[in-house]
Amino acid sequence: MNIAVCIKQVPDIPTIRMDRERMTVIREGVESVINPLDGVALEAALGLRDTWGGNVTVLSMGPPQSEEALREALARGADQAVLLTSPAFAGADTLSTSHVLATAIARLNPCPDLVLCGRQTIDSDTGHVGPQIAEELDFPQVCGVHEIHVETDALVVKQVSDGFLNTLRVSMPALLTVSQGLSVPRHIPLGDLERAFSDRKVIRWGLEDLGLQAEEVGLMGSATRVWRLYTPPPRRRGEILSGPPHRLVEHLITMLEAMGILDEEDANG
Amino acid sequence: MHLELSMKQAVIRRTVRKFAEERLSPAAGEMDATARFPLEIAGEMADLHYFGLEIPAEYGGAGLDTVSYAVVIEEISRASGAMGLCVCVHNSVSAYPIYEFGNEDQRRGFLVPMAKGQKIGTFCLTEPNAGSDASALETIATRDGDGYVLNGNKIFVTNGAVSGTNLIFALTNPAPERREFTVFIVESDRDGLEKGPIEDLMGMRGNPVCPIMLSDCRVPEKNRLGGEGEGMKIALSTLNGGRIGIASQALGIAQASLDVSIKYARERRQFGQSLSDFDAVKGVLADMATKIDAARLLIYRASYLRAKGLDHGKESATAKLYAAGVGVEVSRAGLQMHGGYGYTKAYPIERYYRDAKVCEIYEGTSEVQRIVIARHLTKK
Repeated sequence: MNIAVCIKQVPDIPTIRMDRERMTVIREGVESVINPLDGVALEAALGLRDTWGGNVTVLSMGPPQSEEALREALARGADQAVLLTSPAFAGADTLSTSHVLATAIARLNPCPDLVLCGRQTIDSDTGHVGPQIAEELDFPQVCGVHEIHVETDALVVKQVSDGFLNTLRVSMPALLTVSQGLSVPRHIPLGDLERAFSDRKVIRWGLEDLGLQAEEVGLMGSATRVWRLYTPPPRRRGEILSGPPHRLVEHLITMLEAMGILDEEDANG
Repeated sequence: MHLELSMKQAVIRRTVRKFAEERLSPAAGEMDATARFPLEIAGEMADLHYFGLEIPAEYGGAGLDTVSYAVVIEEISRASGAMGLCVCVHNSVSAYPIYEFGNEDQRRGFLVPMAKGQKIGTFCLTEPNAGSDASALETIATRDGDGYVLNGNKIFVTNGAVSGTNLIFALTNPAPERREFTVFIVESDRDGLEKGPIEDLMGMRGNPVCPIMLSDCRVPEKNRLGGEGEGMKIALSTLNGGRIGIASQALGIAQASLDVSIKYARERRQFGQSLSDFDAVKGVLADMATKIDAARLLIYRASYLRAKGLDHGKESATAKLYAAGVGVEVSRAGLQMHGGYGYTKAYPIERYYRDAKVCEIYEGTSEVQRIVIARHLTKK
C-alpha cells in the first residue's frame, strides 16, 4: 500500500507571541514543529506500511525551512520526502495550498492508494486542506478518522461526527483526515535523526516541476484573503446570582434596569 | 560566527525533550525516593541509541556530533539528573575511550554491545586513597603469562551496580621513580571482580553507584586498552571530553530549576500579588537565566572545538567549572524562592539542589578545574 502523508510545519504554540501593533504572529525565534495531527497521520501511515508493505511519501508545502519537518519525518521512518517550495506559493489560502499538494500527489509514481492528512492544524485550524485535496483528486474522503482497518480492496474506518460513531467502508484510492487517538507518534532513534539530516535526500519541487502557473498558486491563486488577524477582547465573566427565587428576581430586575435593558414600565409588567 | 543550534541539533533537542518529559520526568521522583535505577526505561533508551551517542553507526551508535551530545545530556538531566549521569558517564568516559584508543577487535567485541545499550559502562579510576590525586592509585596489574592479574579497590563507580563493561585503571609499573598506569577493559562477570553495595548518596540517587573490588582478577592482554603505561594519557584525554558531559548535566539541572521557579513565582501570591511581580524576585530570576545562558554558551564552545578536533582542554575545564557552579547556585536560588514548600519532597526543587552539588566534585573537582585552566594560562 503506497501512502502519501501531507504535513505542515507550524509554530510551537506555547512559544507563540503576537505583534499587537501589526496584529500578526511573530514567527522569528519561535520553534516550529510538525503539526501534531499530521504526526498522528504519519505514524498511522508507518504502521500500515509496516503491516501491509508499500512505501510512505511525506509532502509539505512551505518555505525552505520546512525541510526540517520533512527530515524529522524521514527519521520517523518515511521512505521519501518532498518539499513543495517556491516564492510563488507564498500567501496561499487553503484552496491554493490544496491545489499545489493535489498536483504533487498526482505526480507521485506510483500513485498513492491512500492519502492521510491531519484533520486540522494548530495554527489556522480550518480543516479545509484534506477535503479540498480529495475533491481535486476525485478521491472519496472521510474526515476525523480514529480507526483504520484494511480489507482486501477497501478500508473500513471509524469516525465520530455530530455525536455519532460512524463505521464506513471506503474504496481506494482514498483520502482520510485523522484525529487524535488514531495513533501515538513513536519516539525517534537518535541515529535515525542523524542520518535523516546527513545522508537522506529531500526532493524539492517548485512551480515548474509541478507544471503550474503563477496565477494558480500562492496569493494569486487564493479565493480568500486574510483581512485582519487579532486576538478577541477578553470576555467579561458573568455574574452568578444565588439566593431564594423571589430575591433573585428582584435582584435581576434591578440589574437589568441599571443596565438600561428594562425600563420601569417593563419592570412593573 | 553562528550562535544558534543547527536545524538538526534543534530537532534533536526537541526529540530528546519529548522523550525525557514523557518517560523520565514521571519516574524521576520515584527513582530518587527509592534509589532505584529504572532498567526498563534504560532499555527503551538503548533502542533509541542513547547509549552510543557519539559512536559511529558502523559500531552501533548514533554518530552524533559533540554539540548534539551536549544537548542530549542537558535534556536528559533536566528530567532526571541520575539518568543524565548514567548516559553521560557511559558515553563519554567509558564507551568513547574504547572507540578512541581501542583496536578493531576491542571495538567490535566491547564497543558495539555498549553502543547498543546491551552493556552499560563504567570508568573506574577513584580509590579510597586516590581522588583528585589520581596518580596515587594503588590497584595493581601484574603481568602473568599472556595476561595480567588485577588486585585493588575502586570506589564511587557510577553505573557500577548495573554495568557490564568496566574500564579499570591499574598500576603496571609501581616503581616510585616511574609510576605508570594502564587501562584494562574488565567484564563484570569476570572471575575476581565483585561489586559492593550501592552507595547511599545525597543526590543522583537513582544512579547505582557502588564500589568494585578486584581480587586476583585475571585479564587477558587483549583486554588492555592502549599500550602499557598509557593510562594517564587516556585518562586526561577522556576527562577532557567527560567535562563537557558533566557541564551539560549541571546545565540541565539548572534549567529545570529555573523552569519550576518561574512557574512557582507566577502562581504563588503573597501580599496581594504574584511573587513574579516583586522586583526582588524579578532580579533573582534574571540572574538565574543569565547564568544559565552563559553556561550554555561555554559548553557549546567547548563542544564545538572538540567536534572540530581542536584543543579544548582549557575550554572544557572552563565549561565544567562554571556550569557546575551555576547548577548549585540556580538550584539553591530556586529552592529559596519556593520557600517552605521548596524544603518539602512535594516539589522537585530540593532534588535538583541535591543532584547539582556533585557536579562540582566528580570528574575533577572545581578546584582541579581551576588548576587546569591556570596551567593553560601560565604555560610557557
